[in-house]
Amino acid sequence: MNTTMNPPPIPRPTLRGLVFEPMPEEPNPASVLETLLKQPGRIVHDLHHRSAAGLPIWLLGLGLMGMALYGLIVGMLSGGPQLWVAPAKMALGTLLAMIICLPSLYIFVCLDGIETRIRTVSGLLFAAVCLAALLLVGFAPVGWIFSQSTDSIPLIGALHLLFWIIAVGFGLRLLNAAGAFFGSGGRLHLKLWNLIFILVCLQMTATLRPIIGRADTFFPGEKKFFIAHWMDTMAGRTEKR
Amino acid sequence: MIACAKTLLRGDASEIAAWLATFDGRRAMHCALWISLGCGIYGATVGLWRAPLQAAFTALKFPLLIFLTCAGNAVLNGMLAQLFGSGLSFRQTSLAILMSFATAAIVLGALSPLTLFVLHNTPPLGSGAARTGHSVMLLTHVGLIAYAGALANQRLLRLLEKMSDSRAIARRVLLSWLAGNLFLGAQLAWTLRPFIGSPNLAVQFLRDDPLRGNFYEAVWRAAGHLFF
Repeated sequence: MNTTMNPPPIPRPTLRGLVFEPMPEEPNPASVLETLLKQPGRIVHDLHHRSAAGLPIWLLGLGLMGMALYGLIVGMLSGGPQLWVAPAKMALGTLLAMIICLPSLYIFVCLDGIETRIRTVSGLLFAAVCLAALLLVGFAPVGWIFSQSTDSIPLIGALHLLFWIIAVGFGLRLLNAAGAFFGSGGRLHLKLWNLIFILVCLQMTATLRPIIGRADTFFPGEKKFFIAHWMDTMAGRTEKR
Repeated sequence: MIACAKTLLRGDASEIAAWLATFDGRRAMHCALWISLGCGIYGATVGLWRAPLQAAFTALKFPLLIFLTCAGNAVLNGMLAQLFGSGLSFRQTSLAILMSFATAAIVLGALSPLTLFVLHNTPPLGSGAARTGHSVMLLTHVGLIAYAGALANQRLLRLLEKMSDSRAIARRVLLSWLAGNLFLGAQLAWTLRPFIGSPNLAVQFLRDDPLRGNFYEAVWRAAGHLFF
């Protein structure tokens, strides 16, 4: 009797519900966004194993576009020039935060015992930001409804901040899962880096203020830390609608 | 040089112990270069709050402080390592301490874009909020340097445990090195002052008559003013 034995399927490397396997097709905007939402482990896998620049560039471009798109919704509270100022500031702030935090991310990843390249680490940061931007675009209709129904800058600011925290939380979760996949031991330093990235992004709200509300100049004349800026906003001492 | 940095950052004690066992001058040179680069860049961000010239001075003085501390305590640290039974030679002791400082320097260098960003957001010297700005800058630097130092010492402790096969000996050796390095380092930092630069004093490479007075006398006087 001639029987054919099928080999057992190769187990797929999974961690925290993510499957780390190759992307089935070459990256394009649609496939990158779909994979980022459904199978982000594939993005991590390709960033680690492929050296082509296509995927990181798509992730960066789509991430910045998503941030700019959400910025448009933010700018709709005031209208006028804020319709281009807010998107520009959202994209610029995100880009600056990535530039400031990338060197420390690479070093902290190494400190956690992960053997990787700067290209992979950059790609992971772009993927985290792209996922956050994608979620913010998902929140955009809700943000728009509220921006049309209120004049209160503190209220709408708190709402955008809430959406941003949720979105960035998912982005950083992807980054931490990638760290675990690469065999990081304690990930203590990666967690500390998460805190640094969040603080830098929050400070960007003061460095590039006002993102919500109008101002006479693109950049502020006075330097302020973000908590002081938020306090002033809540006290009604800054931007006008 | 990059490979050296990666190994130091990963803190693989077995690999670094092998480096110590087979001394290679190039590794010591790489560590020295990383200290110059990392501490130099970070030092520049420290001094920039006062003036660009102060940034250039601090970029030179910060690595110099590290090298002078290493050199000044090299013999003492080697002796202490042997007295406590770690089995490390003078050369191995110096290289281990140099690697530890290099680890801290790489971390500080990577954090310098962050300090530059904090500096950019700090209210300038002439403004009403200059005091807050100065406090934030000072606390940021203290926090980051303490983090980098603690991390480097944790790696050094792991290496000493590996080399001496005893946690107790490793702790004793590390504590004795720390005591010596902090004692000399504090005085050298006093001699090489200013690093941040006082808003009320001129920008200088060294203060007039830098060898006069010492760190401990200054602390004693400050405590006296405060309590008596």
